[in-house]
Amino acid sequence: MKRILTLALVALLSMATAQTTIEFWYAFSDAPRSGWIDDRIAEFNEQLAEQGLDYEVTGERKGSYRETLQAAVLAARQGNPPHLVQLFEVGSQLAVDSGIFKPIGEVGGIDESAYIEPVINYYTIEGEVNSIPFNSSSPILYANMQLMEEAGLDPNALPGTFGEVLDACEAIDAAGLDANCITFPLHGWFFEQWMSEQNALLANNGNGRDARATEMLLNSEAGLRIGQFMADLAAGGYYSYTGTFEDWSGSEAIFGNQESVFFITSTADAGNITRAAADVGFDVKTGLLPIPDGVDRNGVVIGGASVWLTEGHSDEELEVARDFVLYMTNAENMVSWHKLTGYYPVVNASVDLLEEEGWFEAEPNFAVAFDQLLDTKANQASAGALLGIFGEVRTIVEEALQRIYNGADVEESMNQANEEANARLAEYNANF
Amino acid sequence: MKDNAAFTSRVLPWLLLLPSFIILLVFIYYPAIQAWVLSLHRSNLFLGTRRFVGFDNFTFMFTGTLSAKYIQVVVQTFAYGALVVGLGLAISVVLATLASQDIRGARIYRLLLIWPFALSPAVAGTIFLFMFNPDIGSVNEVLDALFGIKPRWLDTPYLAFSLVVIASVWKNLGYNIVFYLAALQNVPKELNEAAAIDGAGPIQRFFRITFPMLSPMTFFLLFTNLTFAFFESFGLIDIVTKGGPVGPEPFDAAGLTTTMIYQVTLDGFGGSGNTGIAAALGNIILLFTAIITVLQFRYGSRRVQYGDN
Repeated sequence: MKRILTLALVALLSMATAQTTIEFWYAFSDAPRSGWIDDRIAEFNEQLAEQGLDYEVTGERKGSYRETLQAAVLAARQGNPPHLVQLFEVGSQLAVDSGIFKPIGEVGGIDESAYIEPVINYYTIEGEVNSIPFNSSSPILYANMQLMEEAGLDPNALPGTFGEVLDACEAIDAAGLDANCITFPLHGWFFEQWMSEQNALLANNGNGRDARATEMLLNSEAGLRIGQFMADLAAGGYYSYTGTFEDWSGSEAIFGNQESVFFITSTADAGNITRAAADVGFDVKTGLLPIPDGVDRNGVVIGGASVWLTEGHSDEELEVARDFVLYMTNAENMVSWHKLTGYYPVVNASVDLLEEEGWFEAEPNFAVAFDQLLDTKANQASAGALLGIFGEVRTIVEEALQRIYNGADVEESMNQANEEANARLAEYNANF
Repeated sequence: MKDNAAFTSRVLPWLLLLPSFIILLVFIYYPAIQAWVLSLHRSNLFLGTRRFVGFDNFTFMFTGTLSAKYIQVVVQTFAYGALVVGLGLAISVVLATLASQDIRGARIYRLLLIWPFALSPAVAGTIFLFMFNPDIGSVNEVLDALFGIKPRWLDTPYLAFSLVVIASVWKNLGYNIVFYLAALQNVPKELNEAAAIDGAGPIQRFFRITFPMLSPMTFFLLFTNLTFAFFESFGLIDIVTKGGPVGPEPFDAAGLTTTMIYQVTLDGFGGSGNTGIAAALGNIILLFTAIITVLQFRYGSRRVQYGDN
């Protein structure tokens, strides 16, 4: 009897001190980035304790971006959603359509003007801010300075157009280097960026932002130029990759092992790449994303991810969750995040802090991506597309580029891709 | 105490079978029925929508713009299945027969052959992924040293397909050999000895005596290997090629190593979560498996000799 009473007392006490857990699901698996997030969570929990609030934030790595979205949706359908989910940018339409997320605009309490304009614009759908930008990036060109010199190229004059890249590749070929000219992951993301740079829409209805997109525009002239670049690279044997789609680490390894002179990838890897290169013993210089010749540089689309709040929680819990994200993305934290990774500091105040300490002069490699972002013209092309079938579109584009790389006709391949994407889009839209 | 073993109670047999029935019902029959129902709906994982559309999913796949892709996937799966089953069983039976001989170290050979039998497809895939890496894999190092060639295993379509086949065959070798070794124990030695005395060579003895006596086991392994090729190849393919490079014409509508089960996951979980189409394709795999099994039982079982004629 006494034992039962003791147990009951313990149970009651533990319930009384039970904290409400705020769950944050994110998608970084490498130690530096997930460690950084865990540190911020710990700091915020200390703040909560100091303020005497009965909440605790926990973070959980859920796998890739796609897996994180699926896990969140499944959890929500079972009635147990996490409070905060990190979703990739192209999952935005799916997130909105799924109905399990609560736009941050409804929760309130965030100052939109604090964020860099192109970044917050991406996540503003029909006038309402849906999610808080966290890690935003764009592609840039990385170059191995030593190999460039060996090939007789000026390491301070990186190629800025497709034509200049091909010329550089010829020079590298002629110099008889062991290394290939250029590598980049075979990923639809780069196609989207090159479309934006040409001020070309990916889909109709204003890239899906004026109204739900009903037709894809992959085989427009802008799209064909990109396909032609792939064909030219293949013809000269200038491009190398691991053979698998979306293999970021594979291409990074190719560049890191000095098997390629140029590398196009996200600015979010600038930190990792520069450090790895220093270990191996070569210097890295970054430049703007090379674009088709004869095109006015329009700018890049925001890549990366943002943090969404889910429905099904009390207002109080959501406010604590929102406060955590605001803490994680405050000025100082975004400065340290940028320095660690290379992702943009999404808050204007961080940009000011970095400029004050002369960061961009000291680290020109990080500044390039930033300038590229700030010079982006604000239009529908650079706002990025909103598509529910973005996942499939990326695979379709990757398959098309691979067909072209293997020798298929550029126009036929892109037409085939566009038809396929249209069929998928029609199937998805039939849900509404 | 009765001598005959039949149940006297009418209820007891059903009660004893009940646990099995419940498990079969909950984990096999109910999901299978749900999959059929789902394949007749337009259903999306993320949107949580579900609307009855009849056979629209099937027509979407096999008529219309995407038919080239799905037909290619079906053809590829059959090619992959035929190779995995054919090569796998052929190599296994030869190795098992060799290892069953009365030679020094036979026990060690048998052990080493059996060892990898419980490997998961994912592990087998990883091993082959590293061995056949075009730049740093051991296979290419050897080939480079011997012949000066370094084939691009992962991005050349037909090579990637061959790699997936080889990895699958290897993964199943352990499993097939275990069963063949057991079956070989049942082949009476006298038959072989008598044939040897009569002057039959080893190959003749194999094809006329051993192989026919193994036919029940071959019949069984044919089915299990086919099940692997149709249903369990997902893990291996996901690790090695992720559906693989797009082939040259006319195989350019889909990745060359995308089997039907891989396409099911691409549709259902890869892009916009179209679970209706995934279920439809999954049911088509089931249908093909059922047809092949029926054919196998009807025509194959005639050739199976159960050893006591």
